[in-house]
Amino acid sequence: MGDFLSMYSIQHWLESCPQGYLEGTEYGHPPSDKEPELVLEDDVLREGAIRTTVQLVVGERCALSASSGLINAAPDDPSRRFLATQTLDEARHVEIFTQRLFDLGVKKNELEDVIQQYANPNLVKFAEILLEKVDKKDFVAGVVGQNIVLEGMAFSVFEMLHQGNQSANPKFAHTLSGTIADERRHVGFGEGRIGSLIREQPEKKPEVEKMQKDMAYFMLATFADSFRAGQAEVERERAREKMGEQGAGPAQWQGRDLSTMDPEEMEGLLADTVLKEFKTRLGRIGIEYQTPERP
Amino acid sequence: MVSGEPNDIHDMDPDEFRDRVHSFEFWFEAVRGYLSDKPYGHRPDLEEEPMEPSERDQLVTVLCNYALGETAALEGASGLVAIAPNRATKLFLATQVVDEARHLEVLLHRLGELGVEDPEGEIERRASPHLSEFRSELLNLVAGKDWEAAIFAQNVVLEAMEFSVFQRHAQNADPITREILIGIIKDERRHIGFGENELGRRLKAAPHNLARLSEVRRRLDPMVLGSFKDVSAEIGLPSSESPELGRSYLSAVERLGFGT
Repeated sequence: MGDFLSMYSIQHWLESCPQGYLEGTEYGHPPSDKEPELVLEDDVLREGAIRTTVQLVVGERCALSASSGLINAAPDDPSRRFLATQTLDEARHVEIFTQRLFDLGVKKNELEDVIQQYANPNLVKFAEILLEKVDKKDFVAGVVGQNIVLEGMAFSVFEMLHQGNQSANPKFAHTLSGTIADERRHVGFGEGRIGSLIREQPEKKPEVEKMQKDMAYFMLATFADSFRAGQAEVERERAREKMGEQGAGPAQWQGRDLSTMDPEEMEGLLADTVLKEFKTRLGRIGIEYQTPERP
Repeated sequence: MVSGEPNDIHDMDPDEFRDRVHSFEFWFEAVRGYLSDKPYGHRPDLEEEPMEPSERDQLVTVLCNYALGETAALEGASGLVAIAPNRATKLFLATQVVDEARHLEVLLHRLGELGVEDPEGEIERRASPHLSEFRSELLNLVAGKDWEAAIFAQNVVLEAMEFSVFQRHAQNADPITREILIGIIKDERRHIGFGENELGRRLKAAPHNLARLSEVRRRLDPMVLGSFKDVSAEIGLPSSESPELGRSYLSAVERLGFGT
């Protein structure tokens, strides 16, 4: 465990993250990057961008509370120090996605109202399940919920958004690329640290598996709300029309072209990708993946 | 992360402080200058100064107590994120969490450089009882979700205590320990600035809280002064100068408006 955790030291984090892939960025992207005019000038696209970004802020606020809350529940110093870096990573994500809301025209004094208005209630329930474990100082359940389930979901969502925006919105894609690198490190810690704790405390398995199933249900419900609402189709059509005018190229993810898919196909692809990842990662730490109900 | 050096935070007005200091961007600008070429807090080419075994042993005791203080600070700061009254404050505390964890890491690394094989065990063996008592009291305040009292204990009392000791120790420390301490002191200044700003605004709005915080201070002072006494001999401070350390701490706290 000692060697594994040495990869997650503050020193390693300083060299790879702030002094590495974030060097020269401002709020996660090159300072010259701007939100595309077509998003800022089109009410439908701008509202869609705000709605999507609010979900990212909600998820990252949950991750900030969870990672800071888990520090005092950690069984060893190296884990505490890793979680300190994760706390600052999550705070940075809150900051850069909040900044994106400002860049999209949300006024500072309206921020909380906008988040309240657009936050998906199923995503809030997803977060509550995790934060209940953190409040109880349950380190094993908290890290599985945070670093495997929440981060696993974030990783795939960010990757899909990144691929979908590379050509259409390089600023947002750049912002996402730093967070993807962070999430990869967080997921790696979750897998590497929890496996041995699960072996030491096998009695925790049923509770952790139930938590995963419940969280996965609310995650799927969030996806369903995001992709199936009538608004999603309107935004999709508008984006296609505008991107076509701009000559934006295909956006490949998981072997599919996102630019030609309809919202329900995208929902299915995202859900299947995340659930497959859950199964693989949970299997590696000795937890049996539980298939959630489909909303 | 591409703008210029931040101003001295102690010169900022409260509104500018809230807008600028409570952010990852500010934190990164602040630390990059003094951390980028110093893995584990010091330049890699700094040579170890020869030390007598007794000097080395004294230094190990001191560093063990610093590590205990930084552990308390890490636990305190991470607990404070949950009870912070607003998002900007949570962001600042997240930067403080990583600062405290870095301090702990560089001190543990320094103990390793000095040949300590089991830092955890040494910290337990050599810990000042007064500092251990302070740690418990701080964590009780955080667990009790008393924001003002906890931020006072963490960002005023603990940070002022560390600031006073580290600054004094840096004057006669070996070159490697000195460089590590100087880096830590720079962070402590930022943390004290936050505590001062946060409590200053709150006390302006609710002056009756000053009496309550002064009472917290009266409870904590003996633990702080006891900790000084426990470590002062180990940092090469003549007994005649030991009360000076206590006075330095007391005047730092009083400068912030928390008289006895």
